[in-house]
Amino acid sequence: MDQKPQDDIDFLEPSVLLDETHYEEGFKNGYNDGLVTGKEEGRQVGLKNGFQVGEELGFYQGCLDVWMSVICIDHNAFSARVRKNIEQLAALVRSYPLSDPEDEQIQDIMEKIRLKFRVITASLGAKLEYEGRPASSKHDVEDLSSV
Amino acid sequence: MDGGGAAELREAHRLTGHSDRVWSLAWNPFTGSGAGPVLASCGGDKAVRIWKRSPDGAWHCSDVLEDTHNRTVRSCAWSPDGKLLATASFDSTTAIWEYSGGDFECVATLEGHENEVKSVSWSSSGSLLATCSRDKTVWIWEMQPGNEYECVAVLQGHTQDVKMVQWHPFLDVLVSVSYDNSIKVWADDGDDEWHCVQTLTEADNCGHSSTVWALSFNKKGDRMVTCSDDRTLKIWDTSADLSQPKTGDDHESWRHLSTLTGYHGRTIFSAHLSSEDIIASGAGDDTICLFTEVEGPSYRLILKKEKAHDMDINCVRWCPQDPRMLASASDDGTVKLWELRGNALD
Repeated sequence: MDQKPQDDIDFLEPSVLLDETHYEEGFKNGYNDGLVTGKEEGRQVGLKNGFQVGEELGFYQGCLDVWMSVICIDHNAFSARVRKNIEQLAALVRSYPLSDPEDEQIQDIMEKIRLKFRVITASLGAKLEYEGRPASSKHDVEDLSSV
Repeated sequence: MDGGGAAELREAHRLTGHSDRVWSLAWNPFTGSGAGPVLASCGGDKAVRIWKRSPDGAWHCSDVLEDTHNRTVRSCAWSPDGKLLATASFDSTTAIWEYSGGDFECVATLEGHENEVKSVSWSSSGSLLATCSRDKTVWIWEMQPGNEYECVAVLQGHTQDVKMVQWHPFLDVLVSVSYDNSIKVWADDGDDEWHCVQTLTEADNCGHSSTVWALSFNKKGDRMVTCSDDRTLKIWDTSADLSQPKTGDDHESWRHLSTLTGYHGRTIFSAHLSSEDIIASGAGDDTICLFTEVEGPSYRLILKKEKAHDMDINCVRWCPQDPRMLASASDDGTVKLWELRGNALD
């Protein structure tokens, strides 16, 4: 029988494809390593972001709890407008999709929450601010010292 | 007014006292019968000065409001009934002063802006106050009994420093102008929800191509003039009532009428329409120009007053009680009162 031509090709092929084999092996190793460290890093970042979001929302919910208690004790402690804003803020905080970090609206809802909170504290004359969040512009040293 | 002759702007009085640049002026709109006009000025010396005319015709400083703001006072505005004065400061607060018993007393402080407040304006009803700031927001406050102020809304939309806010002369419609070159019109839907109902830009509306510094409405509310770093003044037809929520597709909007170019060689910082619809403009070229509307509508230069001050003119304001008297404020630390004489309206 004729020798199968692939014997010659088989014999040469590994050396010809040496680069490619090494590349693929290296890629596989890198990918597997990356998978492990990336997952861990992602977990850390997720925890950090989740904590920050949770802490900020918790801060607003805490303020809402106090304000709602005040309203329960004395319905007229705040004006109708402030009461309405408090209700709107409560609805916004409730609507934040905590379990769905990939929801497109999370940034938008958080902006609305922050804005509504500022409207309420300005009306109450309360110097209340969530410390962790960045302001729209850089605070200079003067501002920090006057808080 | 004088009978014949070409129009001229005569310097009548020079008010000195501020120890730094004067940023802004406000004439008291309502000064009770018998009393003369009252002018407030504010500036870089962190103080507000009140000026009155003495029986002999000279002007004197009757009050100095200081020790409240700890940075430049950038803008001041009287309430429509003339009893309250709001002062906006780089210290990020707006103070409300009440004139009682011959003395000015600070009765409220509005806090909320994150940095320098640039302008303050009272609505014609007297119950709403608007402020704007380098923090890019516009705040609307409502006055409650007992000098309490409630925040009605915080308006976001401008992408840069907001230079000035001004209410329409009789509608609850607010206009803001900004370093982002745009003019924004704000109105509410009747339920405290304020929205931007129109933005006038270079691309869509023949708007300004650089920072817009100031705006002014005429008494009728159908004309608005804006001025800019682009060295032009623009006049807008503002007859459309934007305070009503739009129904369906039929929305009128404000539109560009005219652009005045080539009259100032530097940034125009201030423009003001008199009750006779004469436009006064003040600029970084130390010059005051006056214009009047003619058929078209288009605008004719009445006169150009060069070297009106030694430095940049920051503010020009017509006196409500005397439509031929104009006040100007400058970086040179002075306030000047001018009289317009001759046939200005021919």
